[in-house]
Amino acid sequence: MIERGKISAFQMAFLMYPTIIATAIISVPTIMASHAGQDLWLSPIWASLLGILMVVTAYRLNKMFPKMSLIEYSCLIIGRVPAKIVGFLFFFMYAHDNGFVLRQYGEFLIDSFLPETPIIVVIGSMVMVCAFAVRGGVEVLARCAQLFVPVMLLFLVLINALLLPELDPSHMFPVLEKGLGASLMGSVPAQGWFVEFIDIAFLLPFLTDREQGLKWGIYSVFAVMLTMIAISFVALFLFGTMIDSFNYPVLTATRYVSLADFVQHVEALLMAVWVLGAFVKIAVFYYVLVLIASQWLNLSDARPIVFPLGFLLLPLSIWVAPNLQEMSAFFSTSAFFYIVSIKGVIPVLLLVIAYVRFRFGKKRGDKG
Amino acid sequence: MKVSYPRTTYRIALLCLPLFLLSGCWDRTEVNDLALIMAAGIDKKSESSIELSVQIFIPKASGGGGGVGGGMGNGGGGGGEQTLVRSQEGVTIADAMAKLQAKIPRKIFWGHGEVFIIGEKLARDGIREHADFLMRNPETRERADLFVCRGQAKAALELIPPLERSSAEVLREMAITQIGIKTTVKDLAQMLSGDSGAAAVPWVEILPPKSKKKEKQTIPYITGTALFKEDKMVGKMDAQTTKGLLWVRDEVKLATVTVRPEEAEGFVSARMLRSKTGFIPKIGEDGWKLTVKIETTNEIVQNTTRLSMLNPEHVKEIEKEAEEEIEHYVRIALLRGQKKLHTDVFGFADAFRRKYPKQWNKEKGRWDEIFPEIEVEVEAKVRIIRPGMSSEGAVRPEDEVRKK
Amino acid sequence: MRFVYKAARKRKKSGSDHPSARDLQPENPQHPLSADLNENRSILESIYADCMDVVIRDFLIAGETKALLVYIDGLSNIDLIDQHVLAPLMQASSKPGDTDAMVQTKVTVSERKGLTTFAELIEQVAKGNPVLIVDGQVRAFAFGLAKWDKRGVEEPVAESVIRGPREGFTETLSVNTSLIRRKLKSPALKIKSIQVGRYTRTSVAIAYVEGIAQPALVEEVTKRIQRIDIDGVLESGYIEEMIQDYPFSPFPQLLTTERPDAATGALLEGRVVILMDGTPFSLIAPATLFSLLQSPEDYYERFMIGTFVRWLRYLFFLFALTAPSIYVAILTFHQEMIPTALLLSVAQSREEIPFPALVEAFLMEVTFEALREAGVRLPKQVGAAVSIVGALVIGQAATAAGLVSSPMVMVVAITGIASFMIPRYTAGIALRILRFPMILLAGMLGLLGLMLGVILIVVHLSTIRSFGVPYLSPLAPMKGRDMKDVLFRAPLWALNTRPRLTGDSNLYRQAPGQKPGPAKGDEHG
Repeated sequence: MIERGKISAFQMAFLMYPTIIATAIISVPTIMASHAGQDLWLSPIWASLLGILMVVTAYRLNKMFPKMSLIEYSCLIIGRVPAKIVGFLFFFMYAHDNGFVLRQYGEFLIDSFLPETPIIVVIGSMVMVCAFAVRGGVEVLARCAQLFVPVMLLFLVLINALLLPELDPSHMFPVLEKGLGASLMGSVPAQGWFVEFIDIAFLLPFLTDREQGLKWGIYSVFAVMLTMIAISFVALFLFGTMIDSFNYPVLTATRYVSLADFVQHVEALLMAVWVLGAFVKIAVFYYVLVLIASQWLNLSDARPIVFPLGFLLLPLSIWVAPNLQEMSAFFSTSAFFYIVSIKGVIPVLLLVIAYVRFRFGKKRGDKG
Repeated sequence: MKVSYPRTTYRIALLCLPLFLLSGCWDRTEVNDLALIMAAGIDKKSESSIELSVQIFIPKASGGGGGVGGGMGNGGGGGGEQTLVRSQEGVTIADAMAKLQAKIPRKIFWGHGEVFIIGEKLARDGIREHADFLMRNPETRERADLFVCRGQAKAALELIPPLERSSAEVLREMAITQIGIKTTVKDLAQMLSGDSGAAAVPWVEILPPKSKKKEKQTIPYITGTALFKEDKMVGKMDAQTTKGLLWVRDEVKLATVTVRPEEAEGFVSARMLRSKTGFIPKIGEDGWKLTVKIETTNEIVQNTTRLSMLNPEHVKEIEKEAEEEIEHYVRIALLRGQKKLHTDVFGFADAFRRKYPKQWNKEKGRWDEIFPEIEVEVEAKVRIIRPGMSSEGAVRPEDEVRKK
Repeated sequence: MRFVYKAARKRKKSGSDHPSARDLQPENPQHPLSADLNENRSILESIYADCMDVVIRDFLIAGETKALLVYIDGLSNIDLIDQHVLAPLMQASSKPGDTDAMVQTKVTVSERKGLTTFAELIEQVAKGNPVLIVDGQVRAFAFGLAKWDKRGVEEPVAESVIRGPREGFTETLSVNTSLIRRKLKSPALKIKSIQVGRYTRTSVAIAYVEGIAQPALVEEVTKRIQRIDIDGVLESGYIEEMIQDYPFSPFPQLLTTERPDAATGALLEGRVVILMDGTPFSLIAPATLFSLLQSPEDYYERFMIGTFVRWLRYLFFLFALTAPSIYVAILTFHQEMIPTALLLSVAQSREEIPFPALVEAFLMEVTFEALREAGVRLPKQVGAAVSIVGALVIGQAATAAGLVSSPMVMVVAITGIASFMIPRYTAGIALRILRFPMILLAGMLGLLGLMLGVILIVVHLSTIRSFGVPYLSPLAPMKGRDMKDVLFRAPLWALNTRPRLTGDSNLYRQAPGQKPGPAKGDEHG
């Protein structure tokens, strides 16, 4: 057994929430607004449907093969060799994706706070911290998430409360000026985030209360959706249709916070709190990566490959994109298809195949 | 394979520690090494260049005074003041700033620059490219206040106000009281990119000094509003007209309406407690129409008439007078902004776009022609809810007060 | 026969393998007492060679049977020995048929124990109990007449409260167990004794309440203590270090207390209390981070005050860890965060300071720690002088001389006060150490570095467990029911359940629905 720790479904929800929202929070309003205009707040609703699909897929698969992760049961579903290919695809995907996340993290910090610090230091220090957490296993990650998420939420709510006097709800109108299509288009990039809910396929085997997994998985999808909507609203009400001209609208909004002329320019605090979320996100991706690698290679212990993989992630994060523009262009265009095709399509296909192959062998009382 | 983790990890950690120390601290800057910019002014220097002037705080222990006169270069100088001003020519703000850095021994730090003043000439030439710097540079504050100054912005920065720390602070305090309009960098960017394509920025003049000797010892103060169309200043409103503008934009925070009732001699002043302005746009057969609805709640602060303010009849009378007064202000503002300068600083465009998105998208291009032709109606509703602290004529013998 | 421990010493010299604890002990093997008094006497003399404090007294019982009384001067109550042992036996007139009967009838001492080996004898003598050996008998008697000068029960110094019992543990184990027993009268309170230390043979008592504490926990604690094999245990800190889960953690994984009420409270929560002879500090296992931040007084004051004080403590706990690093991070990385007016005055005060803020913070913190340590170590009379010098040197002269800025002095002072707010001294020490790497990180990467430091600490805290209980519980992993005693101090009538440590046997600690209120139905107009 690679992981000996156990978490509850509740903890899983706490892990998933920052895993999705941490990077979404900084740039997603801009990306959505560039397609959806003032209807950007509708986009997360559409996008969350994909999140629910992923959660249900992961849950169904897990129900058929409890105590197994995606890599392990794909072996049973499609056979050894194809499963190894799928495993490699997932390994590659997660490594690449983690590189992106790390790069986003680094770019965001350097762009806004530490312009003269080498990016390798910013990313490297984070990888190191994450490596320690990943070595601690899923329990440690879950506990950290449980501590950090409330802090993050509290701070977000506080910032938004402080912004209330500046908000102008009339920016919302006219609703659906360009029809539903615009908000659907806006939801496409957001789906790139929601598809990451497939991560729970790797966490479900470690649940103590597996039957609660679906419930809490869906709750976390809703939490992410609501947060995205809330952020979209705040950004919209504050900046109007100007949102898409800011790289990081929430950050800019935070810069605008002012309380009695004393509390102002709290964006550094936002960064500090955001780092907590980013840590959970990177650590979860890193953890899943380590899990995939060790299951793919049939290792008995995952811990020896934690640091080596960390060293792999470091150059990967530099290599993924030459600069911020390229990266955000990638995220608002092709990233969706790239991520969804592996993280989304493969699990769904696996589920379909599993249904077809095992329908008669194992009678599960569900009628899909 | 078993790896003894604690050892390897600690070794790695130990190896990394000196690495951190070796490379020094990239973004660390001591406060002693910062030139804290309190305000910046931008003036037009020649056809293709601008002049950036910055007001820098001198962190000498206060009370030490003096001794900072020498080598002040252009601007500033003199003893006792807490700021100095340096200027530099450049093609853009960023260019001028880079050159300016060579003249200042400390690193320029915009984080506390809360005031930007634009010289009149530059304002008339267009400010879009300069606003871009203010929005894009992560160090500058989006919440910084923006002003347009008669003459040179540099001159306003160089003043040495007797009361506040610097002229920038004077302007800032004045903007906060919101007697005039208050525009931040973000507001400007929003207005420039908005549908109306017009912006309003406070207009600043320099208060004439009390004596010729202390020429610099005076303050800049807000006297009205500079109106921008697209990104060029097209004209200004004086203080009275600005009042009307504030009513329309729903930005009145402090207003006292003084009326002269017909029935009695003297004046009654009512202070505004709350106010709400709404637009009702209408596109009909006979063209575009818009009603400005202003509802305010007031209390009476001074009464020099013999009227008793407890009498509802009198209060109604005064409410009506006040309504007329407000409508009057608004009309002058509309006259100036809409009819004379053809600049939609009132935000009518947004109102139409929201109510009639389809027509708006069709007619968007013609807004410049439509706007001056819009028929605007003003409806003010004033409610006086309190007669103030004293019920009747507090400083008048009772028999003089007309109760009926 | 020379005694065994010499042989053991020889073996140690040859040093090929580690001698086991048993070999080193002089009283081994279980050498039986001889019937011949002279042989016993010579063995005793060899055991206690060069022990000037051991008294071996010959006397005759009823004038004819030879007997021997062994005790340690100063550990036994000589008056009582004379009165109740020597006097009745020596003055007995009847001819003793059987010494057993003689002792039964003549010696008027309540506690008596028969011994047959030298090992037992030595143990009893060491405890201060005089031992009587009679010629012709293979059984000796120990009498419970130990008495030594001990400190009385005094107010605990390290954990003072305003409202609450004033008594504290002392250095004497029996006093300590009695203090607990006085509070917890149920026979369910079990106290097990283990001897630890090859030479010191210190008595260590493991106290728990049967039916509340998890048997597995008690067993684990016992096992870990039994495993200890060192030459001496001088303070409970020795035991703590030998039985904790994560030896490389700066955080204490056992609570220490010198308050019987705190120990009793812990017992009732299902924890195990480890008491030790020779120190007033007892250990409580398992410990969680939040139990380190609780004071017994939280429960003695009204619950709102208790809750408020707890939150204050949490806040200042964070402060004690991060205040200097926040200052450094903001001052050198995020100047825009400081309100303009404040920054201007800070800039003025820092204008003449030669050091970077990072170095300044380091210097001040080190100085402060040194002052604090000096203040603790010095005799009380001189201690006051240190604080005066410290206040003058750091506070006044250094700022006046322009070596440190006054805001920095303030930050250090606040940090100092914050670390004094933590009720358990040991947790405060952990923060004091961690503060320095935090300052360093903050000086390198600003708030980012600070956060990375915080994350590392949280990762560490969520990794460690104390006797199977996650250190951060009940916050992470979250146990909703136990939050009532962490996020708040719920009123006593609502504290219905015990904290779930490792399992939940005997979950309910009281009858539900005891919320008090005004009496119903007897209102008199």
